[in-house]
Amino acid sequence: MLVFQSVILGLLLGGLYALLAAGLTLYFGIMRVVMIAHSAFLILAAYLAWWTNDRLGIDPLLSLVVTVPLFFGAGVLLQRGLLSRLRPATLTMMSVLITFAIALMIEGLLGYAFSGTQRRIQLGYGTASFDLFGARVAVVKLIAFALAAVSLAALYTLMKRTQFGWALRATIQHRDAARLVGIDTERTAGYGFGLGLATAAVGGTALSLDTTIYPSLHWHWIGPLMAIIVVGGLGSVPGAAAAALLLGLAQSLLQIPMGATWAQTVFYVALFATLAVRPQGFFGGRLAQRF
Amino acid sequence: MRSPARRTTGALALCASLMLGLAACGGSDDGGGEGGDDPIVVGISLPLTGDFSEPGKGVQEGYEAWAKITNDKGGLLGGRKIELKILDDQSNADRVVADYEQLIGSDQVDLVVGPFSTRLVVPSARVAQEYGMLFVEPAGAAAEVFNQGFKNLFYAAPAVADDHYNHLAEYLLALPAGEKPKTVAYAAMDDPFAQGTAYGLKKKLEAGGVKTVVDEVYPPNTTDFGSIAAKIAAAKPDMVVGGSQYQDGVNLIVALQQLNYQPKLAAFSTAPTNPEFAKAIGNKTEGILSPTGYSQDAPYESNKEFVEKFKAQFGKAPEEDQANGYTTGQVVGAAVEAAGCAEQGDCQQKMIDWLHSNTVDTVVGPLKWDATGKPQGAHMIQQWVGNDIKIVLPADAKEADLVYPKPAW
Repeated sequence: MLVFQSVILGLLLGGLYALLAAGLTLYFGIMRVVMIAHSAFLILAAYLAWWTNDRLGIDPLLSLVVTVPLFFGAGVLLQRGLLSRLRPATLTMMSVLITFAIALMIEGLLGYAFSGTQRRIQLGYGTASFDLFGARVAVVKLIAFALAAVSLAALYTLMKRTQFGWALRATIQHRDAARLVGIDTERTAGYGFGLGLATAAVGGTALSLDTTIYPSLHWHWIGPLMAIIVVGGLGSVPGAAAAALLLGLAQSLLQIPMGATWAQTVFYVALFATLAVRPQGFFGGRLAQRF
Repeated sequence: MRSPARRTTGALALCASLMLGLAACGGSDDGGGEGGDDPIVVGISLPLTGDFSEPGKGVQEGYEAWAKITNDKGGLLGGRKIELKILDDQSNADRVVADYEQLIGSDQVDLVVGPFSTRLVVPSARVAQEYGMLFVEPAGAAAEVFNQGFKNLFYAAPAVADDHYNHLAEYLLALPAGEKPKTVAYAAMDDPFAQGTAYGLKKKLEAGGVKTVVDEVYPPNTTDFGSIAAKIAAAKPDMVVGGSQYQDGVNLIVALQQLNYQPKLAAFSTAPTNPEFAKAIGNKTEGILSPTGYSQDAPYESNKEFVEKFKAQFGKAPEEDQANGYTTGQVVGAAVEAAGCAEQGDCQQKMIDWLHSNTVDTVVGPLKWDATGKPQGAHMIQQWVGNDIKIVLPADAKEADLVYPKPAW
């Protein structure tokens, strides 16, 4: 029974991880940048959801109407204004530094605006749950999972079925070739970055439903998320999703025999194993063919 | 920049060595306790800036309230007023040592009381010990404070972490065999304080024959409590104990509620006494227990006066830090009155001996200490009843009866 319950919890957790990691892997695919500030944006979105609920008394999910376009815009600006100006030779290294600075700024501003007090959204259905073959499924966790599934499906459809998606994939696969066939790769990369940050808006809102948030929380998330995208193959959204589900499930199940402290290490063990055995990741295939 | 700073350090060192000599001279010629009307100077070093500035300022307010309330009543020893001499140690352990050397040696204060937090209490207690001074301190509850062999130290609070739940343990073990909880699950953060509270209770309940069915320790950066909660819920224990700080306690309680686990008793440290707590878990607080070191509602005689006058002086109600500072003052005050003196020298030993064998009434209840200065009390236990948290244990301080088994949450 405990095993079945843990499987359910692990899958729900893995779904959330998948959404949170999707943007992170997308940035790398588009620009080969490591976006340390991704989890800080998640927490920012979570705070905005909390604030919407606390001040206006409306459901936190409604904050998405504002935060998704807002984050998309911020992503485009961030890429056009800062990251695209970095020298290609040192891009990956410098992107770590610059996004690290952005993460610190977001953390500081959150602390300034909302204080360090730990917050949690108050929901009428916050502790509601239902029975599924003997396991309990919490409504908020299911909503977060559904949100993740819908956004990942939407992202996948967008990448596979629309002209913008083709352009973005072409940019990811071979920037020079894409330019040769007439794609404005600069603009496409900007929009792609915005898309990644928009997933952070959705992910942060999903996270806020069932987590106590505080400004420095993002440091606890960036490590596992980085491990997920490496295991999944850098730049591959389906790879990240598969790795997220697998690692979420593994963490949840390993907690039964090993306890919380050791179960957390599954991310890093997987990271080391991937780098040692299959550096290109287990799910992504070769970088040029991803997606 | 560099050379003036070095010069200051040099001057300080010179002072410190001179002071040693002065203190020795002072000690030899103060044979007869003169008394008189000159103020009693109390030397304190506090972290007013740096890491501990928040609690440091809280303790400062507590000391100031104690000085004012005592002076308004005519001071100590029949008319001597209290004068506080407070230095800022910037939360720095080296600085705190220099501060106490200066206070005791060159400033010749009559009494010293402690700074805030274990990290600063240990080095400053050592200085006080060297000079033979009584050292009552408001914070520093970790085990390492009491295993240094200090003979002059007293922790002015009801209990160290391991003893927070003593009243609850006594209550549960005294229940008739049929009602006693049979199984308990423990989940504690990997942190000396939080874990100390849960494991203190665990040790006592296990000794009393209550079975431990889950014993989970999680790192401070744990964000997902679903799996820990699943483990607890699957074991279906009668009681769940959380050695928590804040967010972990809240997340674990919500995760347990999501799994529809209904224990007969739930006890969590720290989190339930936080003003944000009820809101954070959507008011599903019914019956949750928590130990607390100080409550504005505690019925101890001096507490009412403290809360009232503190509000008049600072325009807000006192919290635990303020109460700890005030309690420290009360303990020292009682020792001064009992010894009939307040100065460096033999008088200090008189006060130390008196405190080792007597009980002092304070705003956190009656306090007494063992030979290492560890308080022999326990924390009050509060329980969420309706939409309010009330003191339920010990019996002489209670505002409401403990509800057991607790109502569903």
